[in-house]
Formats: sequence, C-alpha cells, structure tokens
Amino acid sequence: MRKLVGIITMGIAALIITGCSSSAGAQSRHKVRKLEYNSAYNYEVSTIAVGVDGTKLVKVWGRGKKAEDAQRNAIKEGVACALFHGFPAGSNGSAAPTPAIIKDPAAADKHADYFEKFFAPGGQYLQYVNRSTDGASADRVKEKGGYKVGVTLSIAYDELRKEMERQGIAKSLNSGF
Amino acid sequence: MKKLLFLSAALMLAASTFGQAKKPTIMVVPSDRYCIEKGYVIKFNNQGTTIELPDYKKLLQNDSDMRLAISKISGIMSDREFPLKDLEQELRNMSNESAETSLLTGSLGGSVVESPIDALKRTAKADIIMDLDVSIEKQGPKNSIRFILNGIDAYTSKNIASSTGVGSPSTSASIGLLIEEAVLSHMDEFAGRLQAHFDDMFNNGREVKIMVKLFDGFDSNLEEEYEYNGESEALGTFIEDWMDDNTMNHRYSLSDATENFQRYEQVRIPLYYERNGRQRAMDTRTYVNNLKKFLSDEFKLDSKVYMRGLGEAWLIIGEK
Repeated sequence: MRKLVGIITMGIAALIITGCSSSAGAQSRHKVRKLEYNSAYNYEVSTIAVGVDGTKLVKVWGRGKKAEDAQRNAIKEGVACALFHGFPAGSNGSAAPTPAIIKDPAAADKHADYFEKFFAPGGQYLQYVNRSTDGASADRVKEKGGYKVGVTLSIAYDELRKEMERQGIAKSLNSGF
Repeated sequence: MKKLLFLSAALMLAASTFGQAKKPTIMVVPSDRYCIEKGYVIKFNNQGTTIELPDYKKLLQNDSDMRLAISKISGIMSDREFPLKDLEQELRNMSNESAETSLLTGSLGGSVVESPIDALKRTAKADIIMDLDVSIEKQGPKNSIRFILNGIDAYTSKNIASSTGVGSPSTSASIGLLIEEAVLSHMDEFAGRLQAHFDDMFNNGREVKIMVKLFDGFDSNLEEEYEYNGESEALGTFIEDWMDDNTMNHRYSLSDATENFQRYEQVRIPLYYERNGRQRAMDTRTYVNNLKKFLSDEFKLDSKVYMRGLGEAWLIIGEK
C-alpha cells in the first residue's frame, strides 16, 4: 500500500513539473509573440511585381483586433516598410530588392514628432499608397485575439522619397555636390 | 533691424564661401559583350591579332532596345537630380571638336597645337561609368531579361555599385517592355549603392592613384638623402611623409617603390581645399600640383604633372 501511495505521489509530482514547464514555455512564447508584434523591425511583406514608374507593388500583412484594424495597420506598415526597411526581392525574379528610403537607423527617433503626425489616423502617409485589394476573405486569417489581413498595395516610392528629402530626413543622391 | 540685416548678410557670405564637392559625371555605356554579341564592333589587325572594339555610334543608331534602356536610366537619374552625360551626344561633340580643331586658325594663320597624346586623350569620359549589359534568355516560348548594371569608378577602376538579376519569364510581353521593367526593377537598388559610395567619399575622401617617377636626365633618385626640417632622409621618405600629412585620415597605400618610382594606391584625397579664403573642389591634378609645389619649394626640384585618366596622376621629377 505504501509503495502504491509513493508511486501515485511521484506521478502527481511529475505531472505538476511537466505542467509548470509547459505553461512557462507557453508564457515565454506568448511574450516573444507580443514583442515581435510590437517590434518596429517586424514586417510581413513580399514584393509582387515591378510597379509602374516610381511605384512598388507589394503585399503587406497587418494584425488587429478587428479585420478593419488589421487592414489599416497593413497599409501603415507598408509605408513604414518603404521608409525604414525596404522591400525584399520578388519571387522568381519578378522584382529586384528595394532599399529603405531612410538609411539612418536613428531617424525615426530623431524625427519622432514628424512621424507621429505623418502616421496619425488619416495622416499624410495615406497620400503615398493605393490599395489594389481590400483584404479579400482568402487573405484574412483569424488568430487568437484578432485578425491577420494581407493587403496588396501600390506604394508611391519615388514621391515618398522626395517628401523625405524635402523634409531633410533622407539624403538625396546629389546632396553635398 | 540693423543687427538682423548684418546677421543675414554674414550668413549669406558664409554660405557663399562654403564650397561644394565636385559633382561626379556619370554616363551609361553599353557593355563590350552586348556590342560584340549584336555585331556592333570595329575590327582591326594589331600585329597579326584581330582586335574587336565596340562601335557605340553604330549601336546607338540601330539598337532601339539599348536606346530605350539608356533613356529610361537617364530619366530616373534626372529625377534624382543627377542628370547623366549622354554617350551619343558626347560622341557627336568629340567628332565636331576634332573637325573644329583641325580647321581653326588664328588671325596670323597659326593652327591649334595638338600633340599625339592630346589626340589620344580625346575620348568620351565620365567619373562613373554605368556599364549596362542586357541579354535575352529563352525558355521555350518564354522570354526573360538578364540585366547587369555595374557602376565603375573611372578614378580607381573599382566596381562601386551594381545591380543584377533575371526578370520573370513572359510569353506575351515585348522585349522592349521587359527591358523597361528590368530597369525600373533594378534602379533603386543601384542608386542605393551609389549613395553608399558617395557617403563613403564624403567621410573618407575621394580615392585616386598617384605615381612618382623620374625623368632620365634627373641626376638623383628617390633613395638619395635630402635635408628638410633639420632631418636627413631619402627623398622618397619625405614624399611619403607629405602623403601621410595630406591624405584624409592618413589613408593611402604605397604599393610598390624602388629608387626610380613610387606607386601610391587607395590615396584618399580631401574633397575640398581652401584658396583665397574660399573652399574649392579638389581634384587629382590640384592635389598632385600641391606635391609638385612642395618639392619645388623645399627641395628646389622641377617636376611635371601628367594626368592619366581622371583619377590617376603621375608626378615626374627632374624636368618641367
């Protein structure tokens, strides 16, 4: 009988330890996901094709509690990606990689006030982007606590670059000459 | 109010005295491979060996695809406030200049002096050459474009920016459209790399090559000891000291040296110098002229500056 009680106690202890470690793992995974979600460097973007003169045709994924929020975030992230990150090359040679407009990694902090206004709801960033899809049902993924929506965007890259040059945030090719 | 006016005048004066770096000229030139593949070449016999040289004039008169690519690149660069030198116009100018030089006479009947070296040097030049190569790849009924764009710094012959890739295959798009798409696709990447090169140039100076040589009539050499600032050292050592003092961040490399020559490579010269209280753009000739002046003032040595291309100069000691 004592043996049986001992075995049961050990089994319960083992279960508690495994449960704790898996819940700790889930918690850390949750933390990582949260950090990635809030990271300024985390963009889910792919280049679809070469856009017409001065534009980039890309697909950007955004997240939000509602599908509309996710869509709005995707548009904002598309413009932010052009400014700070650049776009990767398209698959099967469809387009070459596009560099970031702003090369200075500290620019976002240096010009925080400007970007706050620029990316405000209904802000100037909307001037440099056109939606070619509205986040069709196939590009909506229901996630825990919200939606992930993919939107195809045409970003007016050259106009955006010129605006940043005008503001003195990005350097033009002929600056210093 | 008077103070304000004085302040604005002072600011304007300061702005006018602050010089700008010499803007590099850029020209798109079709690659040799493209010219040879399309048959736009001039063949000549050089001591038994047939040499093929690209015939740009013929190419630009006949090849509409290449003209389209060049025109597209020029448009994009102009949009970035960096207008390019046009190869076709440059070739036309050169042939006109040659004709005008041979016909021009002064009021006393004198003609323009032109040595064989002057004639040899009359070629289309730019500080940066955008070497463009385009080829069509066929996969059954599909065509795709292999695009190679290299930015070559004429000063150092180094590849300073490039963008290459094969476009996605298409059965319906014309070759012209595929070329246009390739240019649009690659130009931002190329411009980004060019910008990085300019940033490096502003931070570390322009890279050039300098060669110090001797005329055969010079009765001394670079290992002969000279007196300067109370020190007795070889002439070559004093030249190296000058180079160390006058390069940006002391960056240069004495890649080879004997008693008769010194070869300096990766010499980073400053972009500006001051003259009469104003900043001016520095180029290789001005820089080597300063070395010439140093040798003349401190060692009473005559020398001659010979420009070999845009970014290479020879200083030949012994004669003017």
